[in-house]
Amino acid sequence: MTEALATGTAGAVLAPDRSGARITARLLHSKATLFWAAVVLVVVLCAVLAPLIAPSDPLKGDIRDGLLGPSAHHWLGTDKLGRDVLSRVLYGARTALLSAVEAVGIAAVVGIPLGLLSGYLGGWTDRILMRIVEGVMSVPFLVLAIALISVLGPGLWKSMAVVGVVYAMTLVRLVRGEALAAREELYVDGVRVAGAGSGRIVFRHILPNITPPLIVQITLMIAGAIIAEATLSFLGLGAQAGDASWGSMLSDAQASIRESFFLALPPGFAILLTVLAFNQVGDGIRDLFAREAKAGSMGVNPVLKAAGQGEAPPAGVFVDDPVLSVRDLTVSFPQPGAGRVAVVQGMSLDVGRGEIVGLVGESGSGKSVTAMSLLGLVPDPGRVRAASIRLDGRDLAGLSFDELRKVRGGEIGVVFQEPIASLNPAYTVGDQVAEVLREHAGLSRAQARERVVSLFGQVHIPDPAARLGDYPHQFSGGMAQRVMIAMALASGPRLLVADEPTTALDVTVQGQVLDLLLELREQTGMSILVITHDLGVVADVADRVAVMYAGQLVECGPTEEVFRRPSHPYTEGLLTSLPRNVRRAGRLPSIPGVVPPPSAWAEGCRFAPRCAHARPECSAGPIELAAGGRDRAARCVRSHDLTLTGVRALAGEPSAAPLASVRIEKKP
Amino acid sequence: MLRTVIIRLLAMIPLVFLVATGVFFLSQLSDVDPAENIVGPDASAAQVAAVRAELGLDRPVLEQYTDWLSGAVHGDLGRSLYTKADVATSLMQALPVTLSLTFGGLLVGLLLGVPSGIWSALRAGRAGDKAISLVATVGQAVPGFWLGLLLIFAFAIRLPWFPSIGYVPIDQDPAGWLRSLTLPSISLGLIAAAAISRQTRSSMIGVLQQEYVRTALSKGLSKRRVVLKHALKNAAVPIVTVVSFQVTTLLGGSIVIERLFAMPGLGQLAINAVLRRDPDVIQGIVVLTVIVVVLVNVLLDLSYAWLNPKVRAI
Amino acid sequence: MTITTGDGTARDAELLRVRNLTVTFPGRRSAPWRRPGKVVAVNGLDLDLAGGETLGLVGESGSGKTTTARAILRLLRPSGGTIEAAGFTVGAFGRRVPLGYRRAVQAVFQDPLGSLDPTKVIGDILAEPLAVHFGLRGTERDRRVAALLEQVGLAGHHLRRYPYELSGGQRQRVSIARALAVEPKLIVLDEPVSALDVSVQSQVVNLLEDVQERTGVAYLFVAHDLAVVRHACDRIAVMYRSRIVEEGPADRICESPAHPYTEALLAAVPDPDPARQRIQRRRRRELGAPAPTGAVPATGCPFASRCPHRMPVCTESFPDWTPVTGGGRVACHLHGGSPTTPEET
Repeated sequence: MTEALATGTAGAVLAPDRSGARITARLLHSKATLFWAAVVLVVVLCAVLAPLIAPSDPLKGDIRDGLLGPSAHHWLGTDKLGRDVLSRVLYGARTALLSAVEAVGIAAVVGIPLGLLSGYLGGWTDRILMRIVEGVMSVPFLVLAIALISVLGPGLWKSMAVVGVVYAMTLVRLVRGEALAAREELYVDGVRVAGAGSGRIVFRHILPNITPPLIVQITLMIAGAIIAEATLSFLGLGAQAGDASWGSMLSDAQASIRESFFLALPPGFAILLTVLAFNQVGDGIRDLFAREAKAGSMGVNPVLKAAGQGEAPPAGVFVDDPVLSVRDLTVSFPQPGAGRVAVVQGMSLDVGRGEIVGLVGESGSGKSVTAMSLLGLVPDPGRVRAASIRLDGRDLAGLSFDELRKVRGGEIGVVFQEPIASLNPAYTVGDQVAEVLREHAGLSRAQARERVVSLFGQVHIPDPAARLGDYPHQFSGGMAQRVMIAMALASGPRLLVADEPTTALDVTVQGQVLDLLLELREQTGMSILVITHDLGVVADVADRVAVMYAGQLVECGPTEEVFRRPSHPYTEGLLTSLPRNVRRAGRLPSIPGVVPPPSAWAEGCRFAPRCAHARPECSAGPIELAAGGRDRAARCVRSHDLTLTGVRALAGEPSAAPLASVRIEKKP
Repeated sequence: MLRTVIIRLLAMIPLVFLVATGVFFLSQLSDVDPAENIVGPDASAAQVAAVRAELGLDRPVLEQYTDWLSGAVHGDLGRSLYTKADVATSLMQALPVTLSLTFGGLLVGLLLGVPSGIWSALRAGRAGDKAISLVATVGQAVPGFWLGLLLIFAFAIRLPWFPSIGYVPIDQDPAGWLRSLTLPSISLGLIAAAAISRQTRSSMIGVLQQEYVRTALSKGLSKRRVVLKHALKNAAVPIVTVVSFQVTTLLGGSIVIERLFAMPGLGQLAINAVLRRDPDVIQGIVVLTVIVVVLVNVLLDLSYAWLNPKVRAI
Repeated sequence: MTITTGDGTARDAELLRVRNLTVTFPGRRSAPWRRPGKVVAVNGLDLDLAGGETLGLVGESGSGKTTTARAILRLLRPSGGTIEAAGFTVGAFGRRVPLGYRRAVQAVFQDPLGSLDPTKVIGDILAEPLAVHFGLRGTERDRRVAALLEQVGLAGHHLRRYPYELSGGQRQRVSIARALAVEPKLIVLDEPVSALDVSVQSQVVNLLEDVQERTGVAYLFVAHDLAVVRHACDRIAVMYRSRIVEEGPADRICESPAHPYTEALLAAVPDPDPARQRIQRRRRRELGAPAPTGAVPATGCPFASRCPHRMPVCTESFPDWTPVTGGGRVACHLHGGSPTTPEET
């Protein structure tokens, strides 16, 4: 499923963008960050050029001109002592930035190397250093600064040195944490095996990887240091009385607040603007390296009703008595550099009563998005449209989120790929299963509990009553998947959607989960839609199979027939390249090339570029899904004149014997 | 549970000891002699020496340290060199003021920060989210004391709704206490609110992308229930971390706010002590704040156990 | 010491020789002041690998197969036993692993994205080992990098790409090229194809075979998928919960397994032929028992609790090795004493 969600925002989700050119492009694209960077630049220029541009001396004034309002002569008025406020604000920028550079400079020089050392070496160095950092950080910043200033004596440069030392602790912790995390990265193992020494690993590999968060942190620290300077100067512990500092200007303003409120505004806004600018630049840089914020699963889009009934699907797609019947489903996502692209296109599929259908495809085929569409749970940038999605005759297309709530968990149960991640770690499993019963069946707490115990028994969880109160992390993957299945079964659904239900499990556990699905189908008569990439799983449980490639259904029919005599070359390729437990002959057959990204899907047959049987007509235009016999359909112009290879019956080979088994020679 | 509390409380002793020792020896590094400060610049060397002897400053450093430490263990934190007031007593007088203010600030931070963060996360990327985020970023850039200054002007001078300075103890006049705390708490708490809002937003967004949220939705629950039951409890862990960090920040920030509103709390005590070089008072304040910070963190750590069953086992 | 390979020829087991390898990790502490318990990840493991040979190490999660691979790569320090590889005694290494060892033994990891430094382009990733080991610079290095790319079927325009810009299969080709850069004698492949799509898996397996044919490199192929391993390997060693329980020629292991666990593993491999899978399923149900949880029992066979043939002795002692007809050996109390002949049924 992760794969399917990723198709929406492929580049952004798969990896942070880091290439220089792309970063620059995104930077230029982010006008807000550029704007705030320009503000920073203006503040820096003010600070540097203060002696040239300030209209008067910031320290001298005529007390007879005190507390004047803004005028042509004094743009921002004068303070109590008659000093020009504009000049003091400009010089204040100088004080603020120099202080910030001092503090952050000290922090960087002390903090970064110590953090790297601590993180990469670990052991005793790390433990001692972290104890010290922990001690220092447990004292509130200002209290600590005051304690240290009480030793050094007040004064701007001393105070900011103190701030620098305190910030260094923050950096030690940050860099250590990042270095520690980076040390565990697989790529560090990679370069270590390649022969790189410690120095090379730390400086060539770890440092570049932790640079983005460091730059962000340093930018934010500059902002913090500017506030710290203003605060300490306000308290009289930083810049001394009379000096041009935004903090001491505010202290002056406080003294004369009843006479002139205006005095508090210029220095206050100067601080606000400067700090905001640095913070915004920091955030902007962070966003450049991080993936974009999304609303997550809550931002889901409903299935819109498409105009018309869609074209009737060919034989092979529909069944006589369908529980589920999807017609002309299309899901589109914005693709990087290609606008909105349909990642699922014109999908039609039926699931018969009591039938198990396998929906099979590789990553990016659109199989999981299709499954999520049935529940109206396609994440936000995705748009879903269907002619109809009928569940037992009732059309779900066009229903709102809340109208679908009865269907979700009620008539359609769902099982996901990662059972432990799919259960809420903060609640007991019993509580989570009971929630479905209380929601859909309106059971009381005690009734629900009783029913959960019997459900747990039905999915063969040993000692069900005792395990109700356990949390998901106390379960193995296989047991957690049984809990998920119990949850999906709770309200007696007509259809179970199982999205890669065995992929994350060990192979011996996989079989047991599949057996459970088969058993439950026998017991309850429900239908199951199994989404998987594993043809073996399909062969094991599915009555019919639907093969997807690049957002389209390419072949559909009874599993045994399709797998023995595929009608689409892609199905053939999948079947023959799958390693089986048989004696091999020669090289493994394989499909050349890779699944193209949605933005590169061909106009005609999407498989044609990788197909050994491709002809010019394959790429001429869109290929329709066409019936091939009573209950088969394929999307291939050549399906009638090709004889494709499926799974071979293995008679005659040494491994034809279905299974080797241990012969027990009892010891005499 | 009780065992965990006791273990955590025992674990804080070395930390407090470490900080106390660090502060004591730091103050010895000062090149300023408090005795000289007391007698004034015109005093003779003999006068200075006499004061030093009287204050016990002429003894070896280690002896002073062990004396101070044994006193501290018994709750005697020494005396102010200037006012001769017992440090422990002045701290206990000032502590309720600072705690009231810190708690007020925290309340403002939580009440504004958590709901706005959740609201913002649910609309990530849309106009409402952008507006909240903008307010939060601006809020983080506003120095608390400037905000206080503006509030004093607006709601104490122009509209005389609240007192502009001072503190009314709760046992004297609960309503007056509340009124005297309103403006300071807002000035102090707004930055915390901004920080908490941003953290709430980002951890909610992170949690909403988790697979169990999709599971909860696929069970047919309402969005409201998914957010308030399934997402919030999981998002709370990083929020609690930020809150515990904010408590430390608020405790420090209260120094400035107390100064601005002329409240007789630890901050006033600290600033006066720094300007006068009064080492015992400074040491006392540092040790007391560390104890408060550590206690708060122990409480918050215990809440992790409730929020995250995985840590409960340890 | 000679070993028998899949094609029946004997080769000197000179390349990799692991004896009694044991790796333990610190477990959870029951209280902060208690010493953490020990988790045994690999227990008394023996392996031999000859030059140019491919040995498959198969097991489920938690079997210790990846830990074994990491110990051989000296990415972790074993707690006991010896590893000799390519003339080096790995146990004797201190903090610094000799460059010569790194040149002889290389690795390809499971997650091709995670194992490539995201801040470097492919050209730089491939150039690094050439610079570290041979001090190559400039055009000579560029020429070698281009040759490596060609060997693994990538084109020149990939040089300036970042790992995230490539597909999973292409990234795995880059990992293979990086391993080949130093002309190693052994490459440890840790789940090299399990993160890849089916249609790409076989491309990579074929590439690995081509490379072996050309360079004579040996592979230790660590994986969980028996079908893939059977196709890629000459011999297979099956691991279960920290121990090797059976080893032997690939076809013999897959056609006539001697250990009940190997048998259960084979029954669980799904087959795309529905008819054959129906038989598999029946077999799987006969052998099925829930996977055990908790720590590996201290004594006896780790499979005993799941084994359909369990006997009292199984929980008392770990069985000795018994040679198996058709090659290899098995550690199972069912086959005590004389060489055993597993039979196809």
